[in-house]
Amino acid sequence: MTSLTLRGITVSLGHGDARTPVLRNVDAACRPGVLTALVGPSGSGKSTLLAVAGALLRPDSGQVLLGGTDLAALGDGERARARRERIGYMFQSGNLLGGLTAVEQLLAAASVAGRPAGRLRAAAEAALTEVGLGHRLRHRADRLSGGERQRVALARALFLEPELLLIDEPTAAVDREQAGALTELIARTATARGCAALVATHDPVVVDAAGATISM
Amino acid sequence: MYLALLELKAARGRFLLMGCVVLLVAALVGIVSGFTTGLGDDTVSALRRLPATHLAFSPDAKSDQFARSLVPADTLTGWQQRPGVRATPLGVAITRGTTDRHTEVDLAAFGVEPGSFLDPGAAEGQRLGGEDQLVISRKLADEGVAIGDTLTVDRLGIALKVTGITDRASYGHVPAGYTTLGTWQRIRFTTPGAKTPAAELPQQYSAIALRAASAADLAAADRELGTRTVALTDAYAAAPGYTGERVTMTSIQFFLYLIAPLVVGAFFGVWTVQRQPELALLRAMGASRRRLLGHTLAQAAAVVLGGTLAGAALASAVGLLVGAEVPFSLPASTLTTTMGAVALAALAGAALTLRRVATADPMTMLGAGR
Repeated sequence: MTSLTLRGITVSLGHGDARTPVLRNVDAACRPGVLTALVGPSGSGKSTLLAVAGALLRPDSGQVLLGGTDLAALGDGERARARRERIGYMFQSGNLLGGLTAVEQLLAAASVAGRPAGRLRAAAEAALTEVGLGHRLRHRADRLSGGERQRVALARALFLEPELLLIDEPTAAVDREQAGALTELIARTATARGCAALVATHDPVVVDAAGATISM
Repeated sequence: MYLALLELKAARGRFLLMGCVVLLVAALVGIVSGFTTGLGDDTVSALRRLPATHLAFSPDAKSDQFARSLVPADTLTGWQQRPGVRATPLGVAITRGTTDRHTEVDLAAFGVEPGSFLDPGAAEGQRLGGEDQLVISRKLADEGVAIGDTLTVDRLGIALKVTGITDRASYGHVPAGYTTLGTWQRIRFTTPGAKTPAAELPQQYSAIALRAASAADLAAADRELGTRTVALTDAYAAAPGYTGERVTMTSIQFFLYLIAPLVVGAFFGVWTVQRQPELALLRAMGASRRRLLGHTLAQAAAVVLGGTLAGAALASAVGLLVGAEVPFSLPASTLTTTMGAVALAALAGAALTLRRVATADPMTMLGAGR
């Protein structure tokens, strides 16, 4: 069970005179097995904090501790390795790879992580079935609804059993009915897997389902 | 690699389209190469077959030397007396004739001294033995002339007995035939339509073929004997149309080699721009730059190599179809070299897009990047 701890995170974005502070000395924590909602108004730095937590962006100062490893102190190559081996991402609107089927989305993630993707097909099908897409395994991403794409993205994010699950506005592109079901699915699977889960959201449905909240 | 294959499969329509473009460029380069080699062979293969190192022309012939140059017999004697040099006369004249079986042919008549190092021998029949004999190249045999035929030179009435067949050779797109110098001089110097043969023919030749151990003394001999000596390969330019053909065909090839990387680069450039979000997604998922570059190059290599191989097959098929009708020659070595060059040029075009692949920004996947 791995937790995420952010300490004294400071980030400025832009270049030269246009450099603007986005995060100033932010502390946050995310416990394993708990869905933590990251909330705040637009421009408050939610996505930036998510990027820092997910080793996509190195903070100007501060620590990003994932199970004792300071991701902020790692070089580019090591941070990329942490992303593919320890962190699962679920981006806004699913962000699936065009032209690939639902199963292939998971196999692509396995390939990126250096796993023997060709031998993981059955596991990928099981993971998709677990999120309710057993009937959509061979449908291409562009043939799936918004909610189905988000489910595929969730299955992909969890497929390689990450220590940390990061989710960006999961319900932004789905209707209310699907938002509720998707949120319930995310909370349930994150809890069941025991991974730390941080979700940036504006949606009260997601906030209500979360076990903890970080306000920006 | 698995990911590269998944993408190839997912975008097979686009990659197939690009493969077809590479195929057509490769086939075009192969076909142009075939014509370049074929036309070159058709123009100078008889010269290439001459076992000489240099040819000495008369100094007044600045171009089209085989038609314009006339070297007198005493100059030949001078060359034959030079130490370290073997010299034998050569006559070249393009004419036409008709066999006693009414086959009409063009003939590049090469006058050589029987038994000299220019004597082509004979693969079939008898080698050149005396006056009014003709050893034809295989190409003339393909046109219907056979051993035992009598070929009469049009308008001159000179009858030549075909005694042998030697390897395929032609000059100025005309099949070569070998005769004695005396016979050649009759062909070259007889006035067309003359009622009676000339009493005495000029003892002159088109050139003197030389075998020189070193080129060091040739300039001095030129000054002393009043000739202009060029290396055999440089003498190809003296063949009618050779330089123009080479420049034309080489220019076409040059532009094809320019076009290939630009077309492939443009395709992969557009493809890379279109999939920037996916590249960014893969970077966000932890794919290293090296891995993305590797799989982009692997995709490019698959398309380029597949297209090039298919293009090579198409060019070879065209060669088989038209080779008997037009001068087309695409030996395996030429095909391999040109297809290798096309593949390299196309891969270079694909490599132009790698910077965009390497700079895909994973931050664009998050709201912060939008």
